[in-house]
Amino acid sequence: MITTMEEKPHVPAAPRKRKIPGWAVGVLGVAGAIVLLSTTSYMTGFPQLTSSGTTQTAVRLALPILLAGLGGLWAERAGVVNIGLEGMMIMGTWGAAWAGYQWGPWAAVVAAVVFGALGGLLHAIATVTFGVNHIVSGVAINLLGAGLTKYLSTLIFLPLSNNPRQSPPVTPFDTYSAAGFADWLGELEAGQRVFISDVAGILRGLVTGVSPLTMLAILLLPLSYYLLWRTRFGLRLRSVGENPHAADSLGVKVYFHKYVAVIVSGGLAGLGGAALVLNPGQLSYLEGQTGGRGYIGLAAMIFGNWRPGGLLGGAALFGYADGLQLRSGGETVLGLVYGVVILLGVIVVWQLVRRKWFSAAAAIVVAVLLYLLYVSLDEIPSEFVSYAPHMVTLAVLAVASQRLRMPAADGLVYRRG
Amino acid sequence: MSSSTSARTDDPPAVVLTGITKRFPGVVANSDVHLTVRRGEVHALCGENGAGKSTLMKILYGMQPPDEGTIEVNGEQVRFRTPSDAIKAGIGMVHQHFMLADNLTVQENVVLGAEALHGIGQKARKRIIELSGKTGLNVDPGVLVEQLGVADRQRVEILKVLYRGAKVIILDEPTAVLVPQEVNELFDTVRGMQEQGYTFLFISHKLDEVRAIADSVTVIRRGTTVGSADPKTVSSRQLAEMMVGSELPSPETRESTVTDKVVLDVRGLKLMTPDGSRPILDDVDLVVRSGEVVGIAGVEGNGQTELVETVMGMRKAGSGTITLLDADLTKLGTLARREAGIGYVPEDRHRHGLLLTQPLWYNRILGYQTRKPTSKGIWLDTDGAKKDTERIVADFDVRTPGIDVPAAALSGGNQQKLVVGRELSGDPKLLIASHPTRGVDVGAQALIWDEIKRARAAGLAVLLISADLDELIGLSDTIKVMLRGRLVADADPNTVTPEDLGSAMTGAGATSASVQETGTAHGTAVVEEGAN
Repeated sequence: MITTMEEKPHVPAAPRKRKIPGWAVGVLGVAGAIVLLSTTSYMTGFPQLTSSGTTQTAVRLALPILLAGLGGLWAERAGVVNIGLEGMMIMGTWGAAWAGYQWGPWAAVVAAVVFGALGGLLHAIATVTFGVNHIVSGVAINLLGAGLTKYLSTLIFLPLSNNPRQSPPVTPFDTYSAAGFADWLGELEAGQRVFISDVAGILRGLVTGVSPLTMLAILLLPLSYYLLWRTRFGLRLRSVGENPHAADSLGVKVYFHKYVAVIVSGGLAGLGGAALVLNPGQLSYLEGQTGGRGYIGLAAMIFGNWRPGGLLGGAALFGYADGLQLRSGGETVLGLVYGVVILLGVIVVWQLVRRKWFSAAAAIVVAVLLYLLYVSLDEIPSEFVSYAPHMVTLAVLAVASQRLRMPAADGLVYRRG
Repeated sequence: MSSSTSARTDDPPAVVLTGITKRFPGVVANSDVHLTVRRGEVHALCGENGAGKSTLMKILYGMQPPDEGTIEVNGEQVRFRTPSDAIKAGIGMVHQHFMLADNLTVQENVVLGAEALHGIGQKARKRIIELSGKTGLNVDPGVLVEQLGVADRQRVEILKVLYRGAKVIILDEPTAVLVPQEVNELFDTVRGMQEQGYTFLFISHKLDEVRAIADSVTVIRRGTTVGSADPKTVSSRQLAEMMVGSELPSPETRESTVTDKVVLDVRGLKLMTPDGSRPILDDVDLVVRSGEVVGIAGVEGNGQTELVETVMGMRKAGSGTITLLDADLTKLGTLARREAGIGYVPEDRHRHGLLLTQPLWYNRILGYQTRKPTSKGIWLDTDGAKKDTERIVADFDVRTPGIDVPAAALSGGNQQKLVVGRELSGDPKLLIASHPTRGVDVGAQALIWDEIKRARAAGLAVLLISADLDELIGLSDTIKVMLRGRLVADADPNTVTPEDLGSAMTGAGATSASVQETGTAHGTAVVEEGAN
């Protein structure tokens, strides 16, 4: 509509110069995170913050979130809000367990993708063909996913495992480690030298006990980026999420692309479910196993501004916080609070430079409160510890005032003509 | 040019439509339409809204099949099933409402759907830069479309069409969103491309523009072509009479009815952007008197919308006062302001004026839910609402099968007549009319103008916002120019020309004598505004 144009029509648009390319932002972000963590670990005396064990757990826990987030990315870039990721993920966990205990881990992966994709197909039929509100359909799929798997596991798993809530154990993947390299890193890590040991610990966690599923998931990220941003198919898919009427007027098959996107989205969420089932700590289907990770994946994607790079950052953040609390408990999470204080300090300086007095003041207040919390407590009460990932995300989302830009036609029902 | 002139006569015409008929359930949108567009010309298609121009263009562009009739392109009969067929035959369309994805780059928008031509990478980029020159677009293909202004977006649309190899380009109401200076630039582009052999089909109801750019004109009325004209000899008035088939209205108000009774008094009104970084309204002072129409001219996005919404209480002013007669409205909500006597014709009737899925009488209640005749105490008075809707339908000539049909079933002009009728009900003291005749046909436009004039004569104060400068000049007693949230200049509607106003609106001539000082250099300027 003409009436919503905010721009002044006659201002010639100068080509925008991005000062820093996207990959450099990523590198800087990783470097910044490592510096922050190693400083925190040095100041608080918690080497667990950057230990290889923590990193390894973090990777395992980040995986389902990453995959769910990727699923969300696909769907939302095509303009379909997929709050049903959670349900599709649950279907994926059941599928993985059902195929996994019979035919091994690769079958588990395939079945999880198929089950998740079926959930995606259902969502696509509801939202694209019948124009159901995306949230309503998504919530329905979440309920359906939980209910259906409960029924199916009572039917199929109960006679085998004598437990309607759990499947028989699944064969895990063999894991791989970069043997020589990891040992060398282990020596460095054990040396407890500032920064070097921290980096070594994190790297060692990344190259130890890697399963094929981890590699697959990590590969899916650049692959998704390539498909969505560097191919004709991806351009069409994104155009459908931005302005389906324009896409349609140019001969793009809007419904087709939405269907593909949502089915892929479901498949990825299902794969996330497989990552949960095949996690060395569990190795079976458990009712309630997903624990809202579909939603968290969606949050990670929003945190990443509907971009794969940011999504990876969001998933890593969740996974790390989750891994830390699982691995080391309340004391170390308190160390993380100290890290947040340091981060806030940096933000305060940055906001002062930009002359944003209000943001700076707010950051100071929060930093002081958190610091008081840190010095007055010995460890975070265990009731709170399991919420560490959520807390961390809240804190980061609250202070990182980023310009979020969702696809313009996201969540809107498209009708031809 | 001489060679192309001779070519025009020898070659088969670029497009010939013969006997096109298209029926929709209950309506005949086109009946027996004949149209011949010669190669290399700018052919204008004029007609009221709802006359069938859009349907005809949809048929030519392959979006709808005709029920009867044939289409010939370059002498060969063709059948279009989809727009892609039309594109293959060299026909491209620039839609009135831009078909662009804001968050994609210029390049992505251009290559979308035509990736097979040059891929989506460097080759495509090169081709786009090559073609950009022809359209006068001077931006990097990697820029996001959301960063472009309206005129540049239009050029991107033309670029899209060129990229697909179109030789015949349909421009659907291309000037509706442009200020006069941009219109001139567009026309320069069109002429430049015409010399390179492109053919244009120019759809418009702005007749001055049609006469300025077209080589020939076809007029369409009630779904059928009623004749052709030579734009060099025909006057705008004659053309318009062909369009409506009768005598024409004009927005001009002859005698002044301005009194010195102040109705709306706005002082020091300020409004900041949500992030507080920059003012949208900057110290606006405005007085509207009884019997006076105050027009606000300005390029869209300079604060007119926000001014209106702040006066209506839809946005909260940072500072300043708003007084209606003797009542201080500053702290009141929108409903209270309406009850105090403000009628409001919103700029987008679909977003703010009507509930499209609800029946007409239901729409009559909106904004009047606390007042007679649509409410009694705490209850809605549906009988009263229905009766009063019947009155509006009769008095304002709303063409509808009944008051129980949903608002969406009415054409734009009839919807707008309903809105204007509603807002003039209940004896308002002030009418705020935002683009009251945008997107409506000439008949509805005339009626709305007449009603505003009548209410003005009866002492109504009117605040008029319009992008149609002829309307603004014709209706207003005072014109104020708004630029970047400030009222920067006054213009006298008796003397100012649309061009002067246009340059004041872009800031180029805000200080020029013709706008601020009244009645000196341009004493004879108002000539044919009335014809439009």
